[in-house]
Amino acid sequence: MKSLKVRNLSKTYFDPYAGTKVTAVRDVSLEVPAGEFACIVGPSGCGKTTVLNLVAGFIPATSGEILLDECPVKGPGRDRGVVFQSFALFPWRTVLDNVAFGPKMRGIGKVEREKIAREYLALAKLSEAAGRYPNELSGGMQQRVGVARALANEPDVLLMDEPFASVDAQTRMTLQEELTRIWQQKRPTVLFITHDVAEAVFLGNRVIVLSKGQVLEQISVDLPRPRAWDALNEDDRFKALTGRVLQLVRSA
Amino acid sequence: MRLRSTLTSVLMFLAPFAVLLGLWAVLVPYFQVNPRLFPHLGAVVDAGIEAGRDGTLLAHVGASLLRVMVGTALALLLAIPLGVAMGVSPALSTFLTPLFRFFSVLAGIAWIPIATLWFGYGFGAITFVIFNAVFFIVTYNTLLGVATIPKPLRNAAASLGAGRWSMLTEVLLPGALPNIVTGIRTGLGFAWRGLIAAEMIATNVGLGYMLFVARDFYRTEVIVLGMIVIGVLWLLIDRLLLAPLERATIERWGMVQRA
Amino acid sequence: MTLLLKAWGAYVRVSSRWPAIASIVPFIPVVALWWAVTALEIFPRVFLPGPAEVARTFADLVYKGILPEYLADSVVRLTVGAAWGIALGIPLGILIGLSKTAHRVLWPLLLFFQAIGDIAWLPILVIWFGYGLTTMTLVIVYTVIFPIVLNTVLGVRSIPINMHRAALSLGASRPRMLWEVVLPGALPNIITGLRNGLGYGWRALIAAEIIVGTSGIGFLMFDARRAGSVVEILLGMVILGMLWYIVDSWILAPVERATGERWGLVTR
Repeated sequence: MKSLKVRNLSKTYFDPYAGTKVTAVRDVSLEVPAGEFACIVGPSGCGKTTVLNLVAGFIPATSGEILLDECPVKGPGRDRGVVFQSFALFPWRTVLDNVAFGPKMRGIGKVEREKIAREYLALAKLSEAAGRYPNELSGGMQQRVGVARALANEPDVLLMDEPFASVDAQTRMTLQEELTRIWQQKRPTVLFITHDVAEAVFLGNRVIVLSKGQVLEQISVDLPRPRAWDALNEDDRFKALTGRVLQLVRSA
Repeated sequence: MRLRSTLTSVLMFLAPFAVLLGLWAVLVPYFQVNPRLFPHLGAVVDAGIEAGRDGTLLAHVGASLLRVMVGTALALLLAIPLGVAMGVSPALSTFLTPLFRFFSVLAGIAWIPIATLWFGYGFGAITFVIFNAVFFIVTYNTLLGVATIPKPLRNAAASLGAGRWSMLTEVLLPGALPNIVTGIRTGLGFAWRGLIAAEMIATNVGLGYMLFVARDFYRTEVIVLGMIVIGVLWLLIDRLLLAPLERATIERWGMVQRA
Repeated sequence: MTLLLKAWGAYVRVSSRWPAIASIVPFIPVVALWWAVTALEIFPRVFLPGPAEVARTFADLVYKGILPEYLADSVVRLTVGAAWGIALGIPLGILIGLSKTAHRVLWPLLLFFQAIGDIAWLPILVIWFGYGLTTMTLVIVYTVIFPIVLNTVLGVRSIPINMHRAALSLGASRPRMLWEVVLPGALPNIITGLRNGLGYGWRALIAAEIIVGTSGIGFLMFDARRAGSVVEILLGMVILGMLWYIVDSWILAPVERATGERWGLVTR
C-alpha cells in the first residue's frame, strides 16, 4: 500500500452550453498516508467526483500532480483501483470471473487467479455467489463484488466513488460495517467520496470537506475501531464530529 | 441559436459527401476510367439535367412513388384494423402470431414471380408486391403492439368508464403505436426494395426499370444517376416522414420499447 | 363451449412442453383453407394450385435432384455473402462506434449508401462482373453489412462508460479492452444486427436470383413463372418461408434472447 498525495490539483473545462470556462476543482491539495482511510465530503457539485476521476486518471488534470509514494502518476491503471457507484460489473462474466479480471489482466494463470478471486469473495462474504451472474444479485451484493474485484487486484490505493449511494439505507449500513471490517484486515489506502456526512465520519480516519472545488477543512477522526452503528449512534464524540462536518458542509 | 446548430449539423452531415464528390470529380478522369465502367461526375449531372428537362426522370420517379403510396395506403388500411382485432384477444394473438411471422418472412420480393403471373406486368403486380411487403409486417407488428399493452392499462381505462370505442382510440391504438410505427418503417424498407426489384423485370416505367434498361446500353451515367436518386428519395422518406413520425409518437411519450 | 375450452387447455399444455407444436398447429387451418379454396375452384387451377399438387411437385423435384441442388446453391451464396458481411461489418462497426472522427466521417455515407439499397446495385454490378457468383455475393455482402455495422455501432456506444473505466482501473490495456469489454458489451446488438442483416440478405439473394440468376430458388421461381407453372412458384415460396422461419425463430431469435437475457442487458 502506498501513500497518496495530491498537490495543487486543478481542473478547468469549457462548458459549451454556458459558453464559459468552468473550474470544477481549484488548487486542491491533500494527503492520505499509507494505510489510511480518508473521506471527501461535500455538497453536490462541489467537485468531489471530479477529484476522484482525476486521481483515477480517467480525466486529465489542467494543472497539479498526483503522487503515489512520491511518484507522479498519469492515466488509469491498476495501481489505483476503483469502486463505482453504478457497480460497473461486467454482466457477461460470472461473479468469480469479475473478481478474477484484474489478475487475468496481469497474466496470472486460471487456477491461481480463481484461487485469489475466491479468497477475496470469502472476504466479502460472497462465496456462494461465485457462479452467478451480476444481474442475478441484489444491489448490495453487486457492490460487494465490486469491492472484492477492486481489492483482488491489490492496488496501491483504493478509490471509492459514492459506492453505497445506489443502495437502500439498511443495506448501506451493513455494507459500511463490512467495509470497515475488510479494511481492518487488509489496510488499503482509501480515498472515499460521499455526500453523506455520517458515512464519512463512520468510515474514515480523516474527513476532507470540499466546497466549490476547494478544500475547506480537514478533520481528524480518532474514534476507536472496530466501529459499529449501534454503538456510534450513541457516542458523543461521533455526534460532535458529525455535527461539525455537517456545519462546514452546510455553510459552504 | 437553435437554427445555427441545426445548420451546423446539416453541414457536418453533408461534408463527407462533398469530399466524396470531390474525389469522384478528380480521380475518375485522372485514372481515365472507361465511361462504360464508371461515369464522370459531369456526365451524371448532364444526364440528370436532360432527364429532368424531358420529363423522363419525373415520369420514373412519379410512377415509383405512386406505386409505393397506393400499395402502402391500401396495406395500412387493412393491416392496422386487422392487427388490432387480432391483438385484443390474447388467445387469438398467441395462436395467430406464428402464422403472421411466417408470412412476414416472405414479405415483398418473394411474391414477384407469382404477382406477375396473377396480375400481369405493370402497375398491378408491382403495387401488389408493395402491398404485400407492408401488409404482413404491419399486421404482425400491430398484433404484437396491442397484445403487449400491459393489462393494468386496459383495466385502468375500463375502471374509468371507457367504452369499446374509447378503449380502441384512447388505449389500444396509442399503446400499440410504437410497434405500428416500427412495422411501417420496416415494411416500407422492404417495400422500397421490392419496388426496385419488381420494376426491373415487370414494367416499362419506374426507377428500377430506368436502371435496368440503362444497363443494356452501358449507359452508366444513367445508372449512377438512378442510384443517387433512389438513395436520396429513401433518405428523404426516412428523414422527413418516418423519423419525425417516430419522434412524435414514441419519444414524446417516453416509451422506449424498441431498438 | 366447455369442449372448446378443454381443447384449448390441452393445446396450451402440450405446446408449452413441445414449443414446436405451437409453431406448426396454426398453419393447419391455413393449409385446410388453401385446400378448400382450390377444391372449390374459386380461382382457376392455373392461378392457384392446391397443396396436394405442391407436395407432389416437391417430391418430384427432390427426386430429380433439382431442388436440393438449387437449394444448396442459394444457401451457399447466402452463407458466403453473410460471412464476408460479418467479417467486414463487425470491425467497421467497432471502429465507428469507438472513434468520434470515424463516426463523423463515415456515418452520413453509411446512411446514404444503405438508402440506395442492394437491388439498385445489380445493374452496375452486372456490367462490372457479369452474371455470376461474384455479382450475387457482392449484393449480399452489401445488404448484410449495413444492419451489422449500424447495430454494432449502437451496441458499442451503449456500453456504459464505467465499464470501460472499470477495466482500465483493473489494468486492462487498450487492445485487451476490445476483446474483454467492447465485444461482449456490444454482442447482443451485434446479434440483432446479424439477424436483421440475414433477413435482408436472403431477400436480396432471391431478388438477385430472379433478376440475374441462373440457378437457385429465386431462379426456380422466376423460371417457372416464365413457363407459366404456378406450382413451382408456390413451392419455392413455401420452401423459402419455411427455411427462413426455421432459421430465424429456432436459431437466431433464441440466440439473441439468450445473450440479452442471460447477461441482463436491456438492448432494445
